[in-house]
Amino acid sequence: MKRALEPTAVWGFGNAVGLGTLVKRELGRTLKVINQVVWPPIITTVLYVLVFGVSLGSRIPRMQGVSYAEYLVPGLIMLQVIDATYSEVSSSVFQGRFMNSIQEMLIAPLSAVEMVTGYLVAAIVRALGIATLVLTVAAFFAHAHPRDWVLYVAVTALVATLFCSLGIIFGLLAEKFDHIAVLTTFVITPLVFVGGVFTSTKMMPPLVREISLGNPMFYMIDAFRYAFTGTGDVPLAVSLGVLIVLTAAALALALRMTAIGVKLRL
Amino acid sequence: MNGSRKDAPALRVRHLSKRYGEFLAVDNVSFEVAAGDFFGFLGPNGAGKTTTINSVVGLATISAGTIEVFGHDNVRDWRTARRLIGLAPQEYNFDRYLSIRDILIYQAGYYGLRPRDVRARADELLERFGLASKAKETFVKLSGGMKRRLTLARALIHQPRLLILDEPTAGVDVELRIELWALLRELNEGGSTIILTTHYLEEAESLCRNIAIIEGGHIVALEATETLVKRTGRALLTVTLDRPFAPTPSLTARGARADGNPAIVLFENLSPEAIAPALAELASLGYGIENVEFRRSNLQDVFLELVRR
Repeated sequence: MKRALEPTAVWGFGNAVGLGTLVKRELGRTLKVINQVVWPPIITTVLYVLVFGVSLGSRIPRMQGVSYAEYLVPGLIMLQVIDATYSEVSSSVFQGRFMNSIQEMLIAPLSAVEMVTGYLVAAIVRALGIATLVLTVAAFFAHAHPRDWVLYVAVTALVATLFCSLGIIFGLLAEKFDHIAVLTTFVITPLVFVGGVFTSTKMMPPLVREISLGNPMFYMIDAFRYAFTGTGDVPLAVSLGVLIVLTAAALALALRMTAIGVKLRL
Repeated sequence: MNGSRKDAPALRVRHLSKRYGEFLAVDNVSFEVAAGDFFGFLGPNGAGKTTTINSVVGLATISAGTIEVFGHDNVRDWRTARRLIGLAPQEYNFDRYLSIRDILIYQAGYYGLRPRDVRARADELLERFGLASKAKETFVKLSGGMKRRLTLARALIHQPRLLILDEPTAGVDVELRIELWALLRELNEGGSTIILTTHYLEEAESLCRNIAIIEGGHIVALEATETLVKRTGRALLTVTLDRPFAPTPSLTARGARADGNPAIVLFENLSPEAIAPALAELASLGYGIENVEFRRSNLQDVFLELVRR
Protein backbone atom coordinates (compact mmCIF):
# COMPACT_ATOMS: atom_id res chain seq x y z
CA MET A 1 0.00 0.00 0.00
CA LYS A 2 1.33 3.44 -0.78
CA ARG A 3 2.03 5.78 2.10
CA ALA A 4 -0.25 8.79 2.50
CA LEU A 5 2.56 11.09 1.52
CA GLU A 6 1.73 12.01 -2.03
CA PRO A 7 -0.74 14.89 -2.27
CA THR A 8 -3.84 14.07 -4.31
CA ALA A 9 -4.29 17.46 -5.97
CA VAL A 10 -7.43 17.87 -8.04
CA TRP A 11 -8.89 21.21 -9.16
CA GLY A 12 -6.44 23.08 -6.97
CA PHE A 13 -7.38 21.14 -3.84
CA GLY A 14 -4.26 19.69 -2.21
CA ASN A 15 -6.24 16.83 -0.69
CA ALA A 16 -9.17 16.09 -2.98
CA VAL A 17 -9.64 12.60 -1.53
CA GLY A 18 -9.93 14.10 1.96
CA LEU A 19 -12.51 16.58 0.70
CA GLY A 20 -14.47 13.78 -0.99
CA THR A 21 -14.34 11.74 2.20
CA LEU A 22 -15.94 14.59 4.13
CA VAL A 23 -18.69 14.92 1.48
CA LYS A 24 -19.37 11.20 1.72
CA ARG A 25 -19.37 11.35 5.50
CA GLU A 26 -21.84 14.24 5.58
CA LEU A 27 -24.23 12.64 3.11
CA GLY A 28 -23.95 9.31 4.93
CA ARG A 29 -24.83 11.10 8.15
CA THR A 30 -27.94 12.55 6.49
CA LEU A 31 -29.08 9.08 5.44
CA LYS A 32 -28.51 7.82 9.01
CA VAL A 33 -30.90 10.51 10.30
CA ILE A 34 -33.28 10.33 7.34
CA ASN A 35 -36.33 10.47 9.63
CA GLN A 36 -35.20 13.87 10.88
CA VAL A 37 -33.92 15.37 7.63
CA VAL A 38 -35.60 13.93 4.56
CA TRP A 39 -39.11 12.72 5.41
CA PRO A 40 -40.30 15.67 7.57
CA PRO A 41 -39.93 18.28 4.79
CA ILE A 42 -41.86 16.08 2.38
CA ILE A 43 -44.69 15.40 4.83
CA THR A 44 -44.83 19.04 5.96
CA THR A 45 -44.93 20.27 2.36
CA VAL A 46 -47.71 17.86 1.41
CA LEU A 47 -49.75 19.06 4.40
CA TYR A 48 -49.17 22.72 3.53
CA VAL A 49 -50.10 22.16 -0.12
CA LEU A 50 -53.22 20.16 0.83
CA VAL A 51 -54.48 22.55 3.51
CA PHE A 52 -53.44 25.92 2.12
CA GLY A 53 -52.99 25.24 -1.57
CA VAL A 54 -55.73 22.81 -2.49
CA SER A 55 -58.40 23.45 0.18
CA LEU A 56 -58.11 27.19 0.76
CA GLY A 57 -56.28 28.00 -2.48
CA SER A 58 -59.36 27.35 -4.61
CA ARG A 59 -60.84 30.51 -3.08
CA ILE A 60 -57.73 32.59 -3.82
CA PRO A 61 -57.27 34.17 -7.28
CA ARG A 62 -54.34 33.19 -9.52
CA MET A 63 -51.00 34.67 -8.49
CA GLN A 64 -48.14 35.45 -10.91
CA GLY A 65 -50.19 33.66 -13.55
CA VAL A 66 -50.46 30.33 -11.70
CA SER A 67 -52.87 28.73 -9.23
CA TYR A 68 -52.30 29.43 -5.53
CA ALA A 69 -51.18 25.82 -4.95
CA GLU A 70 -48.55 26.18 -7.69
CA TYR A 71 -47.53 29.56 -6.29
CA LEU A 72 -47.08 28.00 -2.86
CA VAL A 73 -44.78 25.10 -3.86
CA PRO A 74 -41.52 27.06 -4.60
CA GLY A 75 -41.75 28.93 -1.27
CA LEU A 76 -42.33 25.69 0.61
CA ILE A 77 -39.34 24.07 -1.12
CA MET A 78 -37.15 27.01 -0.08
CA LEU A 79 -38.48 26.75 3.48
CA GLN A 80 -37.41 23.09 3.64
CA VAL A 81 -34.07 23.62 1.90
CA ILE A 82 -33.16 26.44 4.29
CA ASP A 83 -34.24 24.53 7.38
CA ALA A 84 -32.61 21.22 6.39
CA THR A 85 -29.32 22.83 5.31
CA TYR A 86 -28.86 24.98 8.38
CA SER A 87 -29.91 22.35 10.90
CA GLU A 88 -27.85 19.54 9.31
CA VAL A 89 -24.61 21.51 8.97
CA SER A 90 -24.81 23.31 12.32
CA SER A 91 -25.59 20.11 14.21
CA SER A 92 -22.86 18.17 12.38
CA VAL A 93 -20.22 20.80 13.19
CA PHE A 94 -21.42 21.23 16.77
CA GLN A 95 -21.57 17.47 17.40
CA GLY A 96 -18.10 17.08 15.91
CA ARG A 97 -16.82 19.69 18.35
CA PHE A 98 -18.80 18.34 21.28
CA MET A 99 -17.72 14.71 20.70
CA ASN A 100 -14.24 15.80 19.50
CA SER A 101 -14.72 13.67 16.38
CA ILE A 102 -13.93 16.73 14.26
CA GLN A 103 -10.35 16.24 15.47
CA GLU A 104 -10.10 13.36 12.97
CA MET A 105 -10.13 16.03 10.27
CA LEU A 106 -8.18 18.66 12.18
CA ILE A 107 -5.10 16.46 12.57
CA ALA A 108 -5.25 15.32 8.94
CA PRO A 109 -3.69 17.16 5.99
CA LEU A 110 -7.01 18.83 5.19
CA SER A 111 -7.08 22.61 4.76
CA ALA A 112 -9.82 24.96 6.00
CA VAL A 113 -10.87 25.55 2.38
CA GLU A 114 -11.16 21.80 1.81
CA MET A 115 -13.14 21.32 5.03
CA VAL A 116 -15.60 24.12 4.23
CA THR A 117 -15.88 22.93 0.62
CA GLY A 118 -16.64 19.42 1.87
CA TYR A 119 -19.52 20.64 4.02
CA LEU A 120 -20.63 22.86 1.14
CA VAL A 121 -20.70 20.21 -1.59
CA ALA A 122 -22.63 17.88 0.72
CA ALA A 123 -25.05 20.71 1.59
CA ILE A 124 -25.71 21.50 -2.08
CA VAL A 125 -26.27 17.84 -2.99
CA ARG A 126 -28.54 17.41 0.05
CA ALA A 127 -30.46 20.60 -0.79
CA LEU A 128 -30.99 19.60 -4.43
CA GLY A 129 -32.10 16.15 -3.30
CA ILE A 130 -34.61 17.50 -0.80
CA ALA A 131 -35.86 20.17 -3.23
CA THR A 132 -36.40 17.64 -5.98
CA LEU A 133 -38.05 15.11 -3.65
CA VAL A 134 -40.40 17.76 -2.28
CA LEU A 135 -41.12 18.96 -5.83
CA THR A 136 -41.87 15.43 -7.01
CA VAL A 137 -44.25 14.67 -4.15
CA ALA A 138 -45.92 18.10 -4.38
CA ALA A 139 -46.51 17.49 -8.08
CA PHE A 140 -49.20 14.95 -7.14
CA PHE A 141 -51.24 17.77 -5.59
CA ALA A 142 -50.18 20.89 -7.50
CA HIS A 143 -48.78 20.97 -11.00
CA ALA A 144 -45.78 23.09 -10.16
CA HIS A 145 -42.61 22.52 -12.15
CA PRO A 146 -39.60 24.71 -12.92
CA ARG A 147 -39.61 26.43 -16.30
CA ASP A 148 -35.95 27.37 -15.83
CA TRP A 149 -33.98 24.43 -14.45
CA VAL A 150 -30.68 26.33 -14.48
CA LEU A 151 -32.14 29.02 -12.25
CA TYR A 152 -33.75 26.33 -10.06
CA VAL A 153 -30.37 24.64 -9.51
CA ALA A 154 -28.46 27.92 -9.17
CA VAL A 155 -30.75 29.42 -6.53
CA THR A 156 -30.92 26.14 -4.60
CA ALA A 157 -27.11 25.92 -4.65
CA LEU A 158 -26.70 29.56 -3.56
CA VAL A 159 -29.23 29.21 -0.73
CA ALA A 160 -27.58 25.94 0.36
CA THR A 161 -24.20 27.70 0.34
CA LEU A 162 -25.53 30.59 2.43
CA PHE A 163 -27.16 28.38 5.05
CA CYS A 164 -24.31 25.89 5.08
CA SER A 165 -21.98 28.82 5.86
CA LEU A 166 -24.33 30.01 8.61
CA GLY A 167 -24.48 26.42 9.90
CA ILE A 168 -20.69 26.31 10.11
CA ILE A 169 -20.53 29.71 11.83
CA PHE A 170 -23.17 28.88 14.45
CA GLY A 171 -21.93 25.30 14.81
CA LEU A 172 -18.56 26.75 15.74
CA LEU A 173 -19.89 29.45 18.06
CA ALA A 174 -22.51 27.38 19.92
CA GLU A 175 -21.67 26.28 23.44
CA LYS A 176 -24.69 23.98 23.66
CA PHE A 177 -27.24 22.52 21.26
CA ASP A 178 -29.79 25.06 22.40
CA HIS A 179 -27.71 27.90 20.91
CA ILE A 180 -28.06 26.42 17.42
CA ALA A 181 -31.84 26.55 17.71
CA VAL A 182 -31.77 30.29 18.51
CA LEU A 183 -31.15 31.25 14.87
CA THR A 184 -33.80 28.82 13.59
CA THR A 185 -36.49 29.79 16.09
CA PHE A 186 -36.01 33.54 16.30
CA VAL A 187 -34.61 34.47 12.90
CA ILE A 188 -34.88 31.91 10.10
CA THR A 189 -38.41 30.56 10.61
CA PRO A 190 -40.13 33.94 11.23
CA LEU A 191 -38.31 35.60 8.31
CA VAL A 192 -39.09 32.73 5.92
CA PHE A 193 -42.77 32.73 6.88
CA VAL A 194 -43.12 36.46 6.28
CA GLY A 195 -40.74 36.35 3.31
CA GLY A 196 -43.29 35.53 0.64
CA VAL A 197 -43.86 31.80 1.05
CA PHE A 198 -47.62 32.23 1.32
CA THR A 199 -48.31 35.64 -0.19
CA SER A 200 -46.93 38.08 -2.73
CA THR A 201 -45.64 41.38 -1.34
CA LYS A 202 -47.75 43.00 -4.06
CA MET A 203 -50.82 41.98 -2.05
CA MET A 204 -49.50 43.64 1.11
CA PRO A 205 -50.12 47.20 2.34
CA PRO A 206 -47.35 49.60 1.19
CA LEU A 207 -45.73 49.85 4.63
CA VAL A 208 -45.57 46.06 5.10
CA ARG A 209 -44.20 45.73 1.58
CA GLU A 210 -41.41 48.21 2.40
CA ILE A 211 -40.55 46.22 5.54
CA SER A 212 -40.56 42.96 3.55
CA LEU A 213 -37.91 44.35 1.23
CA GLY A 214 -35.54 44.34 4.23
CA ASN A 215 -36.10 40.62 4.72
CA PRO A 216 -33.31 38.63 3.02
CA MET A 217 -35.51 35.51 2.78
CA PHE A 218 -37.88 37.41 0.50
CA TYR A 219 -35.20 37.68 -2.20
CA MET A 220 -34.33 33.96 -2.00
CA ILE A 221 -37.95 32.89 -2.31
CA ASP A 222 -38.66 35.44 -5.05
CA ALA A 223 -35.64 34.34 -7.11
CA PHE A 224 -36.54 30.67 -6.67
CA ARG A 225 -40.18 31.25 -7.59
CA TYR A 226 -38.97 33.07 -10.70
CA ALA A 227 -37.63 29.70 -11.91
CA PHE A 228 -41.25 28.39 -11.75
CA THR A 229 -43.37 31.35 -12.82
CA GLY A 230 -40.94 33.39 -14.90
CA THR A 231 -41.87 36.48 -12.94
CA GLY A 232 -41.22 37.94 -9.50
CA ASP A 233 -42.09 40.74 -7.10
CA VAL A 234 -38.70 42.37 -7.77
CA PRO A 235 -36.43 42.03 -10.83
CA LEU A 236 -34.45 38.76 -10.88
CA ALA A 237 -31.14 40.66 -11.01
CA VAL A 238 -32.01 42.34 -7.70
CA SER A 239 -33.02 39.16 -5.87
CA LEU A 240 -30.03 37.23 -7.25
CA GLY A 241 -27.71 40.14 -6.40
CA VAL A 242 -28.86 40.24 -2.78
CA LEU A 243 -28.53 36.45 -2.53
CA ILE A 244 -25.01 36.45 -4.01
CA VAL A 245 -23.79 39.25 -1.69
CA LEU A 246 -25.21 37.58 1.44
CA THR A 247 -23.82 34.20 0.40
CA ALA A 248 -20.35 35.60 -0.32
CA ALA A 249 -20.23 37.40 3.05
CA ALA A 250 -21.36 34.32 5.04
CA LEU A 251 -19.00 32.03 3.13
CA ALA A 252 -16.04 34.36 3.69
CA LEU A 253 -16.77 34.46 7.43
CA ALA A 254 -17.17 30.66 7.66
CA LEU A 255 -13.87 30.19 5.82
CA ARG A 256 -12.08 32.70 8.02
CA MET A 257 -13.39 31.16 11.24
CA THR A 258 -12.41 27.65 10.11
CA ALA A 259 -8.96 28.83 8.99
CA ILE A 260 -8.30 30.55 12.33
CA GLY A 261 -9.73 27.49 14.07
CA VAL A 262 -12.31 29.33 16.18
CA LYS A 263 -13.23 26.88 18.96
CA LEU A 264 -11.57 24.14 16.90
CA ARG A 265 -7.86 24.57 17.45
CA LEU A 266 -7.04 25.50 21.03
CA MET B 1 9.53 10.22 -1.52
CA ASN B 2 9.38 8.92 2.02
CA GLY B 3 8.60 12.25 3.63
CA SER B 4 11.77 12.56 5.68
CA ARG B 5 14.71 14.84 5.26
CA LYS B 6 18.16 13.33 5.60
CA ASP B 7 19.39 13.11 9.19
CA ALA B 8 16.39 15.05 10.45
CA PRO B 9 15.07 13.92 13.83
CA ALA B 10 11.54 12.56 13.96
CA LEU B 11 10.54 15.56 16.04
CA ARG B 12 12.36 18.78 16.76
CA VAL B 13 10.64 21.23 19.09
CA ARG B 14 12.42 24.54 19.49
CA HIS B 15 11.51 27.27 21.98
CA LEU B 16 7.86 26.24 21.97
CA SER B 17 5.54 28.45 24.00
CA LYS B 18 1.80 28.24 24.21
CA ARG B 19 -0.23 30.84 25.99
CA TYR B 20 -3.94 30.75 26.84
CA GLY B 21 -4.74 34.36 27.69
CA GLU B 22 -2.60 35.14 30.72
CA PHE B 23 -1.76 31.49 31.37
CA LEU B 24 1.51 30.22 29.93
CA ALA B 25 0.83 26.48 29.51
CA VAL B 26 4.16 25.69 27.80
CA ASP B 27 7.14 27.95 28.35
CA ASN B 28 10.05 27.92 25.92
CA VAL B 29 10.25 24.14 25.61
CA SER B 30 12.89 22.54 23.38
CA PHE B 31 13.58 18.87 22.77
CA GLU B 32 14.29 16.39 20.00
CA VAL B 33 13.16 12.86 19.38
CA ALA B 34 15.50 10.83 17.19
CA ALA B 35 14.12 8.82 14.30
CA GLY B 36 13.37 5.30 15.53
CA ASP B 37 13.30 6.30 19.20
CA PHE B 38 10.79 5.16 21.81
CA PHE B 39 10.34 8.38 23.72
CA GLY B 40 8.44 8.94 26.96
CA PHE B 41 6.84 12.30 27.65
CA LEU B 42 5.91 12.43 31.29
CA GLY B 43 4.48 14.96 33.67
CA PRO B 44 1.69 15.42 36.19
CA ASN B 45 -1.77 16.55 35.12
CA GLY B 46 -1.73 20.12 33.81
CA ALA B 47 2.06 20.12 33.30
CA GLY B 48 1.82 20.87 29.57
CA LYS B 49 2.07 17.37 28.01
CA THR B 50 -1.18 17.45 26.07
CA THR B 51 -0.66 21.10 25.08
CA THR B 52 2.74 20.19 23.64
CA ILE B 53 1.28 17.19 21.79
CA ASN B 54 -1.64 19.25 20.51
CA SER B 55 0.86 21.81 19.20
CA VAL B 56 2.78 19.07 17.39
CA VAL B 57 -0.28 17.51 15.73
CA GLY B 58 -1.92 20.83 14.85
CA LEU B 59 -4.78 20.80 17.36
CA ALA B 60 -3.32 23.87 19.06
CA THR B 61 -1.91 26.98 17.44
CA ILE B 62 1.51 27.77 18.88
CA SER B 63 2.30 31.15 20.45
CA ALA B 64 6.05 31.00 19.76
CA GLY B 65 8.71 28.58 18.57
CA THR B 66 8.92 26.00 15.82
CA ILE B 67 8.08 22.32 15.42
CA GLU B 68 9.55 20.09 12.74
CA VAL B 69 8.47 16.55 11.92
CA PHE B 70 11.22 14.70 10.04
CA GLY B 71 12.51 18.11 8.99
CA HIS B 72 9.12 19.46 7.85
CA ASP B 73 7.90 22.56 9.65
CA ASN B 74 4.40 21.83 10.96
CA VAL B 75 3.16 25.32 10.01
CA ARG B 76 4.88 26.10 6.69
CA ASP B 77 4.90 22.48 5.44
CA TRP B 78 1.89 21.35 7.43
CA ARG B 79 0.48 18.84 4.94
CA THR B 80 3.63 16.72 4.84
CA ALA B 81 4.20 17.10 8.61
CA ARG B 82 0.68 15.90 9.38
CA ARG B 83 0.88 12.97 6.95
CA LEU B 84 3.89 11.72 8.89
CA ILE B 85 2.13 11.69 12.28
CA GLY B 86 -0.40 9.24 13.67
CA LEU B 87 -2.15 10.29 16.87
CA ALA B 88 -3.88 8.04 19.37
CA PRO B 89 -5.55 10.53 21.72
CA GLN B 90 -6.41 9.74 25.29
CA GLU B 91 -10.10 10.53 24.91
CA TYR B 92 -12.25 8.55 22.52
CA ASN B 93 -13.21 10.85 19.67
CA PHE B 94 -14.66 8.42 17.15
CA ASP B 95 -17.31 9.32 14.62
CA ARG B 96 -20.48 7.78 16.04
CA TYR B 97 -22.17 7.63 12.63
CA LEU B 98 -19.59 5.23 11.22
CA SER B 99 -18.96 1.52 11.65
CA ILE B 100 -15.65 0.40 13.15
CA ARG B 101 -14.33 -0.53 9.71
CA ASP B 102 -15.46 2.76 8.21
CA ILE B 103 -13.81 4.70 11.04
CA LEU B 104 -10.48 3.40 9.71
CA ILE B 105 -11.35 3.87 6.03
CA TYR B 106 -12.67 7.42 6.51
CA GLN B 107 -9.67 8.39 8.63
CA ALA B 108 -7.41 7.18 5.82
CA GLY B 109 -9.56 9.22 3.43
CA TYR B 110 -8.90 12.40 5.38
CA TYR B 111 -5.21 11.60 4.91
CA GLY B 112 -5.70 11.42 1.15
CA LEU B 113 -5.97 7.64 0.70
CA ARG B 114 -8.73 6.21 -1.45
CA PRO B 115 -10.96 3.48 0.04
CA ARG B 116 -9.79 0.91 -2.54
CA ASP B 117 -6.21 1.44 -1.36
CA VAL B 118 -6.92 0.98 2.35
CA ARG B 119 -9.69 -1.62 2.65
CA ALA B 120 -7.22 -4.49 2.86
CA ARG B 121 -5.10 -2.64 5.42
CA ALA B 122 -8.17 -1.74 7.49
CA ASP B 123 -9.19 -5.41 7.59
CA GLU B 124 -5.64 -6.41 8.46
CA LEU B 125 -5.56 -3.93 11.36
CA LEU B 126 -8.99 -5.03 12.60
CA GLU B 127 -7.78 -8.63 12.57
CA ARG B 128 -4.51 -7.75 14.29
CA PHE B 129 -6.26 -5.78 17.03
CA GLY B 130 -8.97 -8.37 17.62
CA LEU B 131 -11.75 -6.16 16.27
CA ALA B 132 -12.69 -8.05 13.11
CA SER B 133 -15.86 -9.50 14.64
CA LYS B 134 -17.03 -5.96 15.46
CA ALA B 135 -16.20 -4.43 12.06
CA LYS B 136 -19.83 -3.54 11.29
CA GLU B 137 -20.71 -2.24 14.77
CA THR B 138 -20.45 1.36 15.90
CA PHE B 139 -17.85 2.22 18.53
CA VAL B 140 -20.43 2.56 21.31
CA LYS B 141 -20.83 -1.24 21.17
CA LEU B 142 -17.15 -1.82 22.01
CA SER B 143 -15.68 -2.57 25.43
CA GLY B 144 -13.16 -0.14 26.94
CA GLY B 145 -10.23 -2.29 25.86
CA MET B 146 -11.58 -2.58 22.32
CA LYS B 147 -12.02 1.19 22.08
CA ARG B 148 -8.42 1.62 23.17
CA ARG B 149 -7.24 -0.84 20.49
CA LEU B 150 -9.37 0.93 17.89
CA THR B 151 -7.70 4.23 18.80
CA LEU B 152 -4.36 2.65 18.03
CA ALA B 153 -5.56 0.99 14.81
CA ARG B 154 -6.92 4.32 13.58
CA ALA B 155 -3.63 6.05 14.31
CA LEU B 156 -1.84 3.43 12.21
CA ILE B 157 -4.17 3.31 9.20
CA HIS B 158 -2.19 5.79 7.08
CA GLN B 159 1.15 4.22 8.03
CA PRO B 160 2.63 7.19 9.90
CA ARG B 161 6.33 7.28 10.67
CA LEU B 162 5.82 9.06 14.00
CA LEU B 163 3.24 7.58 16.32
CA ILE B 164 2.09 9.75 19.22
CA LEU B 165 0.22 7.91 21.95
CA ASP B 166 -1.47 9.86 24.70
CA GLU B 167 -2.06 7.50 27.66
CA PRO B 168 -2.54 4.45 25.40
CA THR B 169 -3.11 2.02 28.27
CA ALA B 170 -5.31 4.20 30.47
CA GLY B 171 -8.24 2.17 31.75
CA VAL B 172 -7.24 -1.16 30.21
CA ASP B 173 -6.72 -4.36 32.17
CA VAL B 174 -3.29 -5.83 32.89
CA GLU B 175 -3.54 -8.51 30.21
CA LEU B 176 -4.37 -6.02 27.47
CA ARG B 177 -1.73 -3.61 28.73
CA ILE B 178 0.96 -6.26 28.36
CA GLU B 179 -0.45 -7.12 24.92
CA LEU B 180 -0.31 -3.44 23.89
CA TRP B 181 3.24 -3.11 25.19
CA ALA B 182 4.30 -6.02 23.00
CA LEU B 183 2.57 -4.44 20.04
CA LEU B 184 4.21 -1.07 20.61
CA ARG B 185 7.64 -2.71 20.89
CA GLU B 186 6.96 -4.52 17.63
CA LEU B 187 5.97 -1.28 15.90
CA ASN B 188 9.08 0.46 17.21
CA GLU B 189 11.29 -2.41 16.07
CA GLY B 190 9.61 -2.13 12.68
CA GLY B 191 10.96 1.42 12.36
CA SER B 192 8.18 3.59 13.76
CA THR B 193 9.20 6.37 16.08
CA ILE B 194 6.96 6.37 19.14
CA ILE B 195 6.22 9.15 21.59
CA LEU B 196 4.29 7.99 24.61
CA THR B 197 2.69 9.87 27.45
CA THR B 198 1.62 7.77 30.37
CA HIS B 199 0.80 7.91 34.03
CA TYR B 200 2.13 4.37 34.47
CA LEU B 201 5.77 5.11 35.12
CA GLU B 202 6.74 1.45 35.03
CA GLU B 203 5.34 1.51 31.51
CA ALA B 204 7.67 4.35 30.51
CA GLU B 205 10.59 2.70 32.29
CA SER B 206 9.93 -0.58 30.54
CA LEU B 207 9.27 0.76 27.03
CA CYS B 208 11.03 4.10 26.54
CA ARG B 209 14.68 4.57 25.71
CA ASN B 210 14.55 8.32 26.34
CA ILE B 211 12.36 10.38 28.59
CA ALA B 212 11.38 14.02 28.97
CA ILE B 213 9.64 15.16 32.13
CA ILE B 214 7.61 18.33 31.93
CA GLU B 215 6.37 20.28 34.93
CA GLY B 216 4.72 23.69 35.04
CA GLY B 217 5.28 24.12 31.30
CA HIS B 218 9.06 23.53 31.61
CA ILE B 219 11.14 20.49 30.72
CA VAL B 220 12.74 19.45 34.02
CA ALA B 221 14.50 16.32 32.76
CA LEU B 222 15.49 15.07 29.33
CA GLU B 223 17.70 12.00 29.30
CA ALA B 224 18.05 8.35 28.50
CA THR B 225 15.73 6.42 30.82
CA GLU B 226 18.61 4.43 32.31
CA THR B 227 20.75 7.52 32.94
CA LEU B 228 17.83 9.38 34.46
CA VAL B 229 17.10 6.61 36.94
CA LYS B 230 20.81 6.20 37.77
CA ARG B 231 21.59 9.90 38.01
CA THR B 232 18.85 10.79 40.37
CA GLY B 233 18.23 7.28 41.64
CA ARG B 234 18.90 6.41 45.28
CA ALA B 235 19.01 3.43 47.58
CA LEU B 236 15.90 3.32 49.74
CA LEU B 237 15.48 1.41 53.01
CA THR B 238 11.90 1.16 54.30
CA VAL B 239 11.46 -0.10 57.86
CA THR B 240 8.08 -0.91 59.40
CA LEU B 241 8.11 -0.42 63.19
CA ASP B 242 5.80 -1.69 65.92
CA ARG B 243 4.92 1.86 66.96
CA PRO B 244 5.04 5.39 65.52
CA PHE B 245 8.45 6.69 64.66
CA ALA B 246 9.82 9.68 66.62
CA PRO B 247 12.84 11.24 64.85
CA THR B 248 16.12 11.74 66.75
CA PRO B 249 19.04 13.93 65.56
CA SER B 250 21.19 10.85 65.06
CA LEU B 251 18.59 9.04 62.92
CA THR B 252 17.80 12.20 60.96
CA ALA B 253 21.52 12.49 60.21
CA ARG B 254 21.33 8.97 58.72
CA GLY B 255 18.58 10.25 56.36
CA ALA B 256 15.58 8.84 58.25
CA ARG B 257 12.13 10.33 57.86
CA ALA B 258 8.57 9.19 58.46
CA ASP B 259 6.84 8.09 55.28
CA GLY B 260 3.12 8.83 55.44
CA ASN B 261 2.30 6.02 57.81
CA PRO B 262 3.84 7.07 61.20
CA ALA B 263 5.02 3.50 61.86
CA ILE B 264 7.05 3.42 58.62
CA VAL B 265 10.47 5.05 58.51
CA LEU B 266 12.29 5.67 55.25
CA PHE B 267 16.09 5.98 54.93
CA GLU B 268 17.23 7.68 51.74
CA ASN B 269 20.67 7.41 50.13
CA LEU B 270 21.75 4.68 52.50
CA SER B 271 24.70 2.58 51.40
CA PRO B 272 24.33 -1.21 51.94
CA GLU B 273 26.99 -1.19 54.69
CA ALA B 274 25.06 1.50 56.60
CA ILE B 275 21.91 -0.64 56.83
CA ALA B 276 22.95 -2.74 59.86
CA PRO B 277 23.98 0.26 62.04
CA ALA B 278 20.72 2.05 61.20
CA LEU B 279 18.64 -0.98 62.19
CA ALA B 280 20.74 -1.44 65.34
CA GLU B 281 20.09 2.15 66.38
CA LEU B 282 16.32 1.69 65.91
CA ALA B 283 16.48 -1.49 68.07
CA SER B 284 18.55 0.29 70.72
CA LEU B 285 15.78 2.93 70.97
CA GLY B 286 13.32 0.14 71.81
CA TYR B 287 11.52 -0.15 68.46
CA GLY B 288 10.37 -3.57 67.38
CA ILE B 289 11.13 -4.10 63.67
CA GLU B 290 8.30 -5.79 61.80
CA ASN B 291 9.49 -5.50 58.20
CA VAL B 292 12.53 -4.29 56.25
CA GLU B 293 12.64 -3.54 52.51
CA PHE B 294 15.64 -2.33 50.53
CA ARG B 295 15.45 -1.24 46.88
CA ARG B 296 16.95 1.10 44.33
CA SER B 297 14.69 4.04 43.46
CA ASN B 298 12.77 3.68 40.19
CA LEU B 299 11.39 6.13 37.66
CA GLN B 300 8.42 6.82 39.90
CA ASP B 301 10.70 8.06 42.71
CA VAL B 302 12.72 10.12 40.22
CA PHE B 303 9.55 11.55 38.73
CA LEU B 304 8.12 12.50 42.13
CA GLU B 305 11.41 14.03 43.19
CA LEU B 306 11.65 16.14 40.04
CA VAL B 307 8.07 17.38 40.01
CA ARG B 308 8.13 18.22 43.74
CA ARG B 309 11.17 20.50 43.38
